Amino acid sequence: MGKKTDAEMPENPLEPYIESIRQQLEEQDPVLLVGVIVALAVVIITCVFLKYFLTSKTVRSAVLLVGLCDAGKTLLFIRLLSGKFKRTQTSITDSSAPYKAKNDRGSTWTLIDLPGHDSLRSQYLEKFKSAARAIVFVVDSAIFQKEVRDVAEFFYMLLTDTVVCRNAPTLLVACNKQDITMAKSAKLIQQQLEKELNTLRVTRSAALSAQDGSVGGSVYLGKKGKDFEFSQLPMKVEFLECSARGSKGEDGGADVESLEKSLAKL
Amino acid sequence: MLDFFTIFSKGGIVLWCFQGAGVTESFTGPVNALIRSVILQERGGNNSFTHEALSMKYKLDNEFELIFVVGFQKILTLTYVDKFIDDVQLHFRDRYKNELEQKGALKHVNNTFDFEDRFKKLLREAEESSKARSPPPMRSFEKSEKSQKTVKSMIETKGGDKAKEQGGKKNKHTKKEAPAVEPAKGDQGKTPPSGQKAVVNGNQGLSPEEIIQKKREDFFRKRMMGPAEKPIKSPKPQKPKEKQNRVWENAGSSAKNLDYSNKNGEASPGDSERNLDARFDPDMQVSSMKGDLLSVDYESSEEGEMEDEEEEEVVVSETSKTSPKKSGGFGGMFGMLKGLVGSKSLSREDMEPVLEKMKDHLIAKNVAADISSQLCESVAKKLEGKVMGTFTTVASTVKQALQDSLVQILQPKRRVDILRDVMEAQSQRRPFVVTFCGVNGVGKSTNLAKISYWLIENGFSVLIAACDTFRAGAVEQLRTHQRRLNSLHPPEKHGGRPVIQLYEKGYGKDAAGIAMEAIAYARNQAFDVVLVDTAGRMQDNAPLMTALAKLIAVNMPDLVLFVGEALVGNEAVDQLVKFNQALADHSMSDKPRLIDGIVLTKFDTIDDKVGAAISMTYITGQPIVFVGTGQTYNDLRSLNARAVVGALMKA
Repeated sequence: MGKKTDAEMPENPLEPYIESIRQQLEEQDPVLLVGVIVALAVVIITCVFLKYFLTSKTVRSAVLLVGLCDAGKTLLFIRLLSGKFKRTQTSITDSSAPYKAKNDRGSTWTLIDLPGHDSLRSQYLEKFKSAARAIVFVVDSAIFQKEVRDVAEFFYMLLTDTVVCRNAPTLLVACNKQDITMAKSAKLIQQQLEKELNTLRVTRSAALSAQDGSVGGSVYLGKKGKDFEFSQLPMKVEFLECSARGSKGEDGGADVESLEKSLAKL
Repeated sequence: MLDFFTIFSKGGIVLWCFQGAGVTESFTGPVNALIRSVILQERGGNNSFTHEALSMKYKLDNEFELIFVVGFQKILTLTYVDKFIDDVQLHFRDRYKNELEQKGALKHVNNTFDFEDRFKKLLREAEESSKARSPPPMRSFEKSEKSQKTVKSMIETKGGDKAKEQGGKKNKHTKKEAPAVEPAKGDQGKTPPSGQKAVVNGNQGLSPEEIIQKKREDFFRKRMMGPAEKPIKSPKPQKPKEKQNRVWENAGSSAKNLDYSNKNGEASPGDSERNLDARFDPDMQVSSMKGDLLSVDYESSEEGEMEDEEEEEVVVSETSKTSPKKSGGFGGMFGMLKGLVGSKSLSREDMEPVLEKMKDHLIAKNVAADISSQLCESVAKKLEGKVMGTFTTVASTVKQALQDSLVQILQPKRRVDILRDVMEAQSQRRPFVVTFCGVNGVGKSTNLAKISYWLIENGFSVLIAACDTFRAGAVEQLRTHQRRLNSLHPPEKHGGRPVIQLYEKGYGKDAAGIAMEAIAYARNQAFDVVLVDTAGRMQDNAPLMTALAKLIAVNMPDLVLFVGEALVGNEAVDQLVKFNQALADHSMSDKPRLIDGIVLTKFDTIDDKVGAAISMTYITGQPIVFVGTGQTYNDLRSLNARAVVGALMKA
């Protein structure tokens, strides 16, 4: 009864009010008090756990396989996962599977194969770019000369993306289809890409803004005034050669050792 | 007879394939072409596709994310293919359900699908069933009915005496029994005895008793239908000896009947009485016109009975429908819960109302009507059978799928970078030629000026070819633009030569010739870009379309841009189809130059009714290269697919 009369005096200044609260708490049933404290603790712990899990989701553990259409991404995906050969068609959705890297730590990444078709490229990249730990850019080395501008444009889009710039995932450029005799070497592809990206810097920044006023990709690649080189980028870029089909054709194994080694180094 | 059959996942991994005997070519190319042109361009309405000599049919399995494709020669018409695909799909799903339900792509990689034997069996069954439907063999004479009849019965005599005698005995039987039966049935009306006789003649194969029974049953069935009076058919077709006056049934026999003067004589004084009489007239039912008007049919009485029958059937079916609804009440509740939890798969009926609404919404946003329906059809095909995720409604899934497909349509299928291509042409020491075509008044000349301003700003030199030799003031308009642009970018700042020049030959000349000369001049003078302005023309105007096609075929421009205004509605489809058709028809080479890109003008005049963009890209498959948003030189933009789709889907 006394507690109630104490609480019913709102016009008291703060200090006596706190005193009265303290009195109330002390006079309360201790079991009830303990119950309240436990409930509060549980809520706080749940919040902490939620935060932990939410942030752990954004821990980037995905390796994306991107590239133009018909570059060999899906076959590379199959080879990395199982070593077998399977026929492939143009992908229209992504495929993902856990991949165990061949290193001592035994780290597992999620290998995601994105479709390369022009109309699907951007929307799948949007979905997965924030979770990317490394991006494997697959290039068709045999017809590179004809496609160099398209490859460079896709590369430019990738490099100037704000999310990619912020996270700076490792970029592995896999020059695929090395089993074909006309295939260009990785070094040549690197030089050509650098030259092309140099030109693209100029044309892309002069491109028209979109009709609602947004200007895409205001990131300037490399250093102004100097020719573009991959070493100027904030992320690590590595060029390597591989052949998903393998030199012995469909029955033999694939030459993806260099790719596997690089993936192991992640 | 099939060339190939593949089953592959949507991620691109081929699970199983079959190649027909004697087929050596790989099917990867044609199937890729199928995927790119049909599935990715959202033309999934009909499920067949022809590529060179092959005709392909496909089926999407959205639950397990698989695609089934069958290919056969175009010249063959195999009737069993549709059903065959469905059967194969069902069998494959049943057999490999466990493997396919695993998550991730490893299931496609690691499992081997040995479907060969089942497939061969299904194929054999399908082929046999199609063969079984061959036309039935002709019956031999013994089996036909004609052999059962006697010769005499088939003789048609004038008086019919002999036939009468023949059927007379039968008639006596029937007549005796029919009147005996009649009183039993009560006053049911007249019997058509002659009708019976005619049929009896033909049924002499059966025993008389059976005939009587059959006739009785028919007769009573007809009585049940209602008091419909069947006209009595005369059994013998009598050839008229002379031409008789035709008697119209409705017309009166004499002109006297047409004279209504007597009846109308007491019109004025007796009117009110007549009106009162009419009201109390028992024959005229006052409320007979209530409800829907009966359709304009002569035999309205018969119609009425038919409608009654149909109504009864409808009522019956409705009650039968409602009863499972009641019993399905609990099932419905669980179904809703199931839908929430996320193991419900989408069916056509679920999606129908949402798709209808979406279609109307798109049409309201100025997307062409048949394109909206094709889009919705394709989205339905993509979602059929798909298992929805947790806490997603049908409407949200359909909307998301529609949004994705719209973004996909608007994304360019090839690289769109004019500046880069101009640089490429520059390095090859030839001018980059762009041709503008379109109907009257869409903004070709204005946007040409805007594009030349943009090119000049980026350091290229431009030559405008005035190939519009028809419209009054066209050449002067371009000359004014040239002067303005030269004053904005004076030649002193750009190395002493004017950045933009106009090549014109006045009015009335041949446009293709002017274009050719302009390109040669540009090559000589080392201009970077040639912009060719053509006259506006309606797509139905055949001679003008021929002239345009000739201009493009002869000059082989690097870029053919179709200028279309954003205000156009269903017309856009017609314009683009006819323009492409004309360009394809009048070109000499195997690979005709078609429209390469679209310039969407007057974009500032539409608020969010941006559907014309969708219509145009869907029809041609070509990207929208420029968007014109105003009438000054700076109002030139590029397309942002996401923003356009956002405006389109906004309610």
